[in-house]
Amino acid sequence: MSSKALIRISLGVYLIIFFSYLLGPLVVMSLTAFNSSGFPSVSPWACFTYEWFNVLWNDSAIREGIFYSVIIGLGTVALSVSMGLAASIVLTQVWAKFRSTYYTLIIAPILVPGVVLGISTLVFWDRLGNFLGAGDGSMLSNLFHNGIFLTILGQSSFIASYAMLVFVARLQRFDPGLTEAALDLGATHTQAFRKILLPFMRPAIASASVLAFLASFENYNTTTFTIVDYKTLTTVLAQKVRLGINPSISALAFIIITLTVFAALAFEAYRRNQARQEAVKQGKAKAKSGGILPSFMTGNPAAIVFVLLAFVAIVVIGTAQKYSPEQCKIQVREAKQAEIQRRIKELQEQRLIKSQSEARQGPDIFGAPEEEDTGGKPSGAFGGVFAPGNLSDDADADQPEAEKPSGGSGAFGGVFAPTNLDNDEGN
Amino acid sequence: MKNKMIFSEFFRNNGVVMGSLLMGLVGFWLIFLVILPQLSMLDFSFRFNLPPADVGGPKDVYTLSNYQHLLYGSDATHQTYNTVDLWVFVKTIVAAMAVTIFNIFLCYPLAYFLGQSKGSGFVRLLVVLLIIPYWINEILRAFALRIIFGDSGLLNEALMFLHLTREPIDFIRQDIALYAGLGYAYILLMLFPMYNVIESLDRNQIEAARDMGASWPRIHRRIVIPHAKPGIVSGATMVFMLSAGALAAPQILGGPSSLWFTQLVYQWFFNSLNWHQGAAYAIVLLVSTIIIVLTVMRIFKVNMGDIGK
Repeated sequence: MSSKALIRISLGVYLIIFFSYLLGPLVVMSLTAFNSSGFPSVSPWACFTYEWFNVLWNDSAIREGIFYSVIIGLGTVALSVSMGLAASIVLTQVWAKFRSTYYTLIIAPILVPGVVLGISTLVFWDRLGNFLGAGDGSMLSNLFHNGIFLTILGQSSFIASYAMLVFVARLQRFDPGLTEAALDLGATHTQAFRKILLPFMRPAIASASVLAFLASFENYNTTTFTIVDYKTLTTVLAQKVRLGINPSISALAFIIITLTVFAALAFEAYRRNQARQEAVKQGKAKAKSGGILPSFMTGNPAAIVFVLLAFVAIVVIGTAQKYSPEQCKIQVREAKQAEIQRRIKELQEQRLIKSQSEARQGPDIFGAPEEEDTGGKPSGAFGGVFAPGNLSDDADADQPEAEKPSGGSGAFGGVFAPTNLDNDEGN
Repeated sequence: MKNKMIFSEFFRNNGVVMGSLLMGLVGFWLIFLVILPQLSMLDFSFRFNLPPADVGGPKDVYTLSNYQHLLYGSDATHQTYNTVDLWVFVKTIVAAMAVTIFNIFLCYPLAYFLGQSKGSGFVRLLVVLLIIPYWINEILRAFALRIIFGDSGLLNEALMFLHLTREPIDFIRQDIALYAGLGYAYILLMLFPMYNVIESLDRNQIEAARDMGASWPRIHRRIVIPHAKPGIVSGATMVFMLSAGALAAPQILGGPSSLWFTQLVYQWFFNSLNWHQGAAYAIVLLVSTIIIVLTVMRIFKVNMGDIGK
């Protein structure tokens, strides 16, 4: 018995570790969207704020990126879903000896690094344009160097493989006898396809489209080469993250995570509802009526959670218009100022001691009171604070900032560098 | 491969309109989006980087110089090796393998647990929880890890709060963040193929082995793992290829001094504007990763047909 308990405990621990590795970073990132600190962080927590959503909303580069991402996504869906469907139908008919070669060919794009696909697309269409003698500025040349055109082609080359896999799974359950029957009854091949195969494939087409759109929307490796002078959401984000980060990106991530959670819950609720109705139809379960909950929510925890979350979201968005963290921000600023004053005093005392001991030519027996507690942070630390590397990306809340104190000595120079203030002025 | 008879049969089965539509779409995909671009890139990588006026002229001849640059650097006498780029290449391949192996060990228990405990509400919940990070942008996931691993990130704050370390540890510079990020980015591509094959394993086989007195490690070694092999190899292939070809995670989580091989390709394209050199590096990456994958598949006796199931 005890070994069984041991297994259960270790399984539990393992599940907790796995899911915190998977979800922890997303939770932390979501939290940073609500911290007023200019650098995305959860500790030290400054103020609860919605301002980063405003910053995000007013960011024209991100809006432009989303716009082009959607256009490219739609183009990719249209192209890759139709290519994937055709490829999967051909797979069921292809000559048996050729089948495995053919399958390797249509699955290979998934395994080719996205960077390679992007480069090859860019190079090929550039050279095709030259080969066809399209001069600079001609319509063909413009098309072949158009970032949207190239990105749709580059992304479709591997997303079609994903779509194909979805279709192959569905086609395995298709009864070709149905098409034969339709043909025997005088339907043309096109009619048989439209009236028999296409309706059967409709759920697969829907899920392949969603899959293709999401894959296109989040693609970076291929897009970064083929996009040329346009922007997509991912290339804008990558640029922002590399050049310096601020919590408005966390805000965007929070929105995406929330939408994903809603979509997952809605899908799960829908699936359960279908399963339950199926069970009712077959007489295995009773159709419950009455009760407090509407019928689609009974026995459907996903639906209940979905509705609750939607309610919370509406309340939060409603209150967000009125909530203002100004009071809190002032307090934080005052606390920071007090902290700076304290540090200045400390430093001055330190210098005083030092100069005294130097004057006496004695050994530095006093040392520097470096171990003074500053709330679990390295206060040793003046060294750290003044290190140049610290300033570049780290102007977060525990760094002293605000206006230059009158008693400040030259030693503070770096702390008040303009970059440092930039980040905090938003607070 | 295909002869006329096959074609005529194909058109007889599908009708002329549908047949040509199908052939047209598949042909466009395979020829114009896959085969010709790859061949074009291969050809491109064997040419000099010439100004536009000289392209197609007498100077436009084939050369190995782009590949020699990876081996010898800009040293024309080929005396010294291009240690910087070669080291980046080796590091990329080895690290991608390490990430793959790490993911196999991390995912196997969960895949087994999910695959064998069927239908309970708790398992459905776990699967829904798994799907959520799957659809978050790769860049945002790397960004999330950067928040955690940064100098004043959560992990350093926590370590210092617990007095485990006094100075913040530079996870970024030591590439710890990068490896964690790569493992994180593609972990679900390992989990789902494994989960799918283990789910199809008949539970009675395990029961039977246990009734006959087999120990747990033995059951896994003799029954579960052989059954799950196609899924494991398929997941491992995807994780390896994607990690070796990753660009976003190294750009965001990599240290300033260490590079990933794809970043070299990126630099050739966008910083040096030498597409030919970049294409040559990309070909090296593609060919070497494919050779490694095919070798592993041969060793474990898995077919290409198992990928993607």
